[in-house]
Amino acid sequence: MHPIIRLVNRNLTISINPGFLIWQVIFPLIYIFVAGFAYTSLIQQVPFGSKSLDYPSFLASGMIGFNIMNSTLVSGIIIWNDRRHGMFEQIMSGPFTRAHYILSNIATIGIVGLVSASLIALVGYPVFFESVDFTFITIPVIVFAAIAGSVLFGSIASIISTRLRSSEGFNVIINTVFLFFAFVSTAFYPAEGAPEPLKTFFYLNPLTYLVDIIRAGIFGNITEFVIVEMIILASLSSVLFVVATKLLTRLDF
Amino acid sequence: MSCIEGKNLSKSYGSMKAVDDIVLSVKSGQVFGFLGPNGAGKSTTIKLLTTLVSPSEGSLTILGIDAIKHPLAIRHKIGVVLQQPSYEPTLTVEKSLEKYGMMWNVSKNECKKRMEVLLRDFDLIDIRKKRNEDLSIGQRRRVQVAREFMHDMELLFLDEPTVGLDPSARRKLLDFLKNKVKTGLTIFYTTHNLSEAEYLCDEIAIIDKGRILTVDSPDALKKRFGKEKTIKIHLLEKQPIVVSLLSRIPECVVDLDNGTTITIHSEQSELVLLQVLKILSENKIEIEDLSAVPTNLEEIFLKVVRDNASNN
Ligand SMILES: Nc1ncnc2c1ncn2[C@@H]1O[C@H](COP(=O)(O)OP(=O)(O)OP(=O)(O)O)[C@@H](O)[C@H]1O
Ligand SMILES: [Mg+2]
Repeated sequence: MHPIIRLVNRNLTISINPGFLIWQVIFPLIYIFVAGFAYTSLIQQVPFGSKSLDYPSFLASGMIGFNIMNSTLVSGIIIWNDRRHGMFEQIMSGPFTRAHYILSNIATIGIVGLVSASLIALVGYPVFFESVDFTFITIPVIVFAAIAGSVLFGSIASIISTRLRSSEGFNVIINTVFLFFAFVSTAFYPAEGAPEPLKTFFYLNPLTYLVDIIRAGIFGNITEFVIVEMIILASLSSVLFVVATKLLTRLDF
Repeated sequence: MSCIEGKNLSKSYGSMKAVDDIVLSVKSGQVFGFLGPNGAGKSTTIKLLTTLVSPSEGSLTILGIDAIKHPLAIRHKIGVVLQQPSYEPTLTVEKSLEKYGMMWNVSKNECKKRMEVLLRDFDLIDIRKKRNEDLSIGQRRRVQVAREFMHDMELLFLDEPTVGLDPSARRKLLDFLKNKVKTGLTIFYTTHNLSEAEYLCDEIAIIDKGRILTVDSPDALKKRFGKEKTIKIHLLEKQPIVVSLLSRIPECVVDLDNGTTITIHSEQSELVLLQVLKILSENKIEIEDLSAVPTNLEEIFLKVVRDNASNN
């Protein structure tokens, strides 16, 4: 077996536990089915390009992006735990290189993100199937967004985990950052109609770009603006990935 | 064959030299002990030898492979138990052994077999289903050392593996290691525990402030440094003048701690002792207790490190 596969195997073994599954899958489903339908009496329609969506399908598509972001926490937690509990050094003194370690984390994020996003898409499908509009262009766009988003948020989580040693610091910072990302984004509500400073904040947030692209892919509405968002997402994730890799290769023992 | 060859190895952190120009040569099939006080540079040396950090200067060959050019090739052939604990908090003892074997590409069946043997050898049967985070410190250390034997290796580095182990677990581990060496394993072993080093090691290096002070077998060290003995005399009451009286005796070093305990280091202990007793009785100083400490590695260690400090 390739060293990266062995590390991915280990990563999945240590990160998949009931608490994580609840956080990862059940939590978004509760959002879709409880919040989604509970708000329907307040929000009948969400305008989306030339269409208008009902709130549950708007929210369900947003949850896929939200879920990809959450999966990347796995990598941050793995790196942080490995440093705290001495496993990073132990692995690095074994038959592995730092490149193996970094790539295995990305692969882990990819797997967790893809599996849980598919699960949510599958369970959420009845909610948004009426408005779905897949074409041979939109599916690659969704896959692109999933990969770029994983790399981007995975890099952010890695950067935080390499900078912080105390458990309080790590938890507080990572939860604050991801909470900000989640709620100041278009995952739960559209940018149109939001009051001005908030609307600007939405677009300072990479999750907005990720969610917008996925939504455009699912509902077949790829506009020029979405293409600009794709370029921004790709550039930002490349930059953050380089920074995260640099920090990780520089970690001292 | 020599399996570690280090020449003029140094490792600096800023302006501080943690390892300072050491020369190392370790033969295959033996236990090489690396002794030194806190901060001497033992762990840093282990990190250099295991390619975790690269040297600031010098050359290093491990198992015939250049450590600077091919660190990964070396890491495939060695085992390392670092000084700091390392564990997966949420895995059970048996799962962590199994997964560690998997990480080393050991087949599933072989993993199961080795795990059972190690659980028994390291007294882990009763706690095999416990999670690592729920173990006591000594139990966790035992799992960490046992885990390293899930994979094959030619050379094993152990950085103070017995810290936190009770005397019986400690002895069991040392005997386990001795048996492994009989099957051809080479061990590089750091410790501050001198009796442990004496029991286990074929050769011992003493390091302080990043420099190797001496390398020899435990017996040879005793022969070389063992002439010096330590005499301790407890006085019935405080006698500050005693030091000046005793310092007239040639060839010895006299200390007086807390006013009643005199410690004398000398290579001519018998002669010195006679003179000491004579001086004490001439001055009517009463003795409560007198002992001559037999030479052991601990005394040698203290002497070598003390001499090094006074030379600086
Ligand atoms: N990453 C580092 N950065 C700066 N200084 C370091 C680093 N690692 C070790 N040192 C310094 O190098 C010196 C040697 O440390 P080392 O850990 O090798 O000692 P040691 O002999 O293993 O001690 P101990 O018996 O306490 O484990 C110490 O003075 C230590 O402060
Ligand atoms: Mg140390």
